Amino acid sequence: MDRSRRQFLMTLGVGATLGGAGCVGGDDAATGGSASEAGTAATDGSAGPKPPTADDRLYLAYDTGTLEANIVSGGVPKDGIPAIDEPQFADTPPSGLEPGDPVFGVVRDGDAKAYPQYILVHHEIVNDAIAGHPVAVTYCPLTGTAQGFERGPVEFGVSGRLVNSNLTMYDRGTDSWWPQILATAIKGPLTGESLREFRVVWTTWKRWARAYPETAVLTEETGFSRRYGVDPYGQYNETRGYYSSPRTLFEPLQGDSRAHPKAVVVGTRTETGALAFDKAALLSQRVLTGHIGETPHVAVADTDLATGYVYANPESATVEALADGYTLDGTTYDADALPLDRSLAFDAMWFAWAGFYPESTYVD
Amino acid sequence: MSTDRQPGEAGLTAGFERLGRNTGVAVRGALARRDGRTLFAAAGLAYFLLYLVGLGHLGLGPPDYAVSVVSNPLTRAFRPVGPFQWEPIALVVVGPVELLVAPLNLLLGGVLASLVGLNLAVSVVAWRGPSACRLGPGAGAASGLPGLLSGVACCGPTVLLVAGVQASAGLLSLFRWLLPISVAALLGTLLWVGSRVEPAAK
Repeated sequence: MDRSRRQFLMTLGVGATLGGAGCVGGDDAATGGSASEAGTAATDGSAGPKPPTADDRLYLAYDTGTLEANIVSGGVPKDGIPAIDEPQFADTPPSGLEPGDPVFGVVRDGDAKAYPQYILVHHEIVNDAIAGHPVAVTYCPLTGTAQGFERGPVEFGVSGRLVNSNLTMYDRGTDSWWPQILATAIKGPLTGESLREFRVVWTTWKRWARAYPETAVLTEETGFSRRYGVDPYGQYNETRGYYSSPRTLFEPLQGDSRAHPKAVVVGTRTETGALAFDKAALLSQRVLTGHIGETPHVAVADTDLATGYVYANPESATVEALADGYTLDGTTYDADALPLDRSLAFDAMWFAWAGFYPESTYVD
Repeated sequence: MSTDRQPGEAGLTAGFERLGRNTGVAVRGALARRDGRTLFAAAGLAYFLLYLVGLGHLGLGPPDYAVSVVSNPLTRAFRPVGPFQWEPIALVVVGPVELLVAPLNLLLGGVLASLVGLNLAVSVVAWRGPSACRLGPGAGAASGLPGLLSGVACCGPTVLLVAGVQASAGLLSLFRWLLPISVAALLGTLLWVGSRVEPAAK
C-alpha cells in the first residue's frame, strides 16, 4: 500500500491557546442547555476562561470526592499524549484508512467530519471547529468511548490521569479535570459542573462515507511524528488485543458480570440516572426499551451507520421498526429523527459503563 | 574480595580508584581483542534495536520511502512524553521499516546499548581469561533488561496487557525507575567484573 508523506509537517506547538485565534465563542443551542458566557473571565475564582457548561449536572453514581480519590496515573505526563490543536482535513481519506476501519463522525449544520480511530488513538483529543463552533472531539481507547464537547474559548488536553480507565481531560483555561464519560469536572475550579455535549457517531469509514459523501476526513498531518499504522492497544476491523480481551488494564471502579467487559453498549445518562443497551442486540432487534428511574426510554438502531439513538419516551409510545425507518403514531421517521426528546448516547465498553454507573439498567 | 582493609574515607576512596582503574583495564583489554570488539558491537546493536522496538519507535509498516520532519524540531526534541521518553521529531520510512527519530531517546538508547555491549564483552573475555571469574557471560546483558522494559512503558503500560498484569500505582512508579535501575545495574556489573580483574594478568 502506498502512503504519501509530505516532506515537512505543518505543526502547532502544544499549549497554544485560541485566545485571539479567530474562534468565535458564540453558542448555538446544543445538548446541555445554555452556555456560560464564552470568552469572559470565569466566575469561579479561576483566572482563565472556562468551557461552556450545562445548566444541570449530569448524574454521578459517586460523589466527586470519591471520584477524585480514584484518579490514577496512566503512566504518561500531562500532554504526554498530545492533543491535535490544528487538525488538517481532506476530501479524500488517508491511504491508511481501510473501509472497515472505525471513524468517529460528526455532523453539524451540514458540516460532516470523520475522525479516524487509528489517528485519534495517538492523540485522544482534537481541538477543532465544526461549522464555526469550537469543539473537542475526544476518544478514549481504554474505554472505547468517542464523545464531543463544546469548548468555547478554551482547548482541552490529555491530563495523563485516568479514572475507571477513562481519559481524564483538563481544560487549558481553569485546569479543571474532566473524566470523559462523566463529562463532569471532578477536580479544579469547575468541580461539579458538566460540559455541553454533542453526538459523535462510532461507525466505519465505509458506512460514514456512504451516508455523507461530502465528508471531510482528518489526515495524518497532525503536527506530530507518529507511526499511525500502529495501535498500541490492539486492533479493530477484526477486533484483537485489549479491545477484545476480557482483561482490563486498570481495576474498574466496580466489577459487573452482566456482560463481557469489552461488550459494546450504547449508553445514555441524564441528570437523574443512566441506562445502557447492548449494541449488538440493538442492531439485531432494532428497537429496545429501558428505564431511567420511572421514565421509559426507547433505543432504535440506525442500520446504515450501525449505531443507535436513545429517546426519552415518557408516554410509552409504541415505536415499530419498518424497512425504511420507524413508525410512531402512524408516521414513519428516520432513526435519528423520532418526535421524542433525544438523549445523548454513545458507545462504550461495558466494564467502563458499569464501573461509572453501577446502578445502570443493562438491556440486551 | 579484598583483604587489604584500610579503615576510613581514604581507604574507601583508594578502593574506588582501584575499582575504576581495574574496570578501565578490563574494558580496554576486552576491546583490544577481536572477540571482545565483536561482542561489544553485536550485543550493543542488538540491544539498541530492541530498545527502539520496545519504545515503538522502530517497526514495520506499509512500504514507502519518505522522511517527514516536524516544523519545530528543536523545541519538540526536549518535550517529554513519558518516563525517560521524548517527542519524536521525524519519521523515516525505508521500504517496510519505519523509524521514529527522538534524538534524546536515540542518545539514551546508545548509552544503554554501549553499557550492555561492554558488560557482555568484558564478561566473556573475563570468563575465557585466566582469572577464575565466576561470572557468567549473560549477567551483564541481563542487567540491561530493566532498560528494555522501560522502553515498552510508552503510551501507558501496555506491556502489562501482554503480561496479563493489571496496572497499579506501585507498578507505574516502578516504570519510572526502570531506566535508572538499568543504568545502575549495568554500571554495577561492569564494576563487579572490574573488581575481579588482575591488572597484571596478560
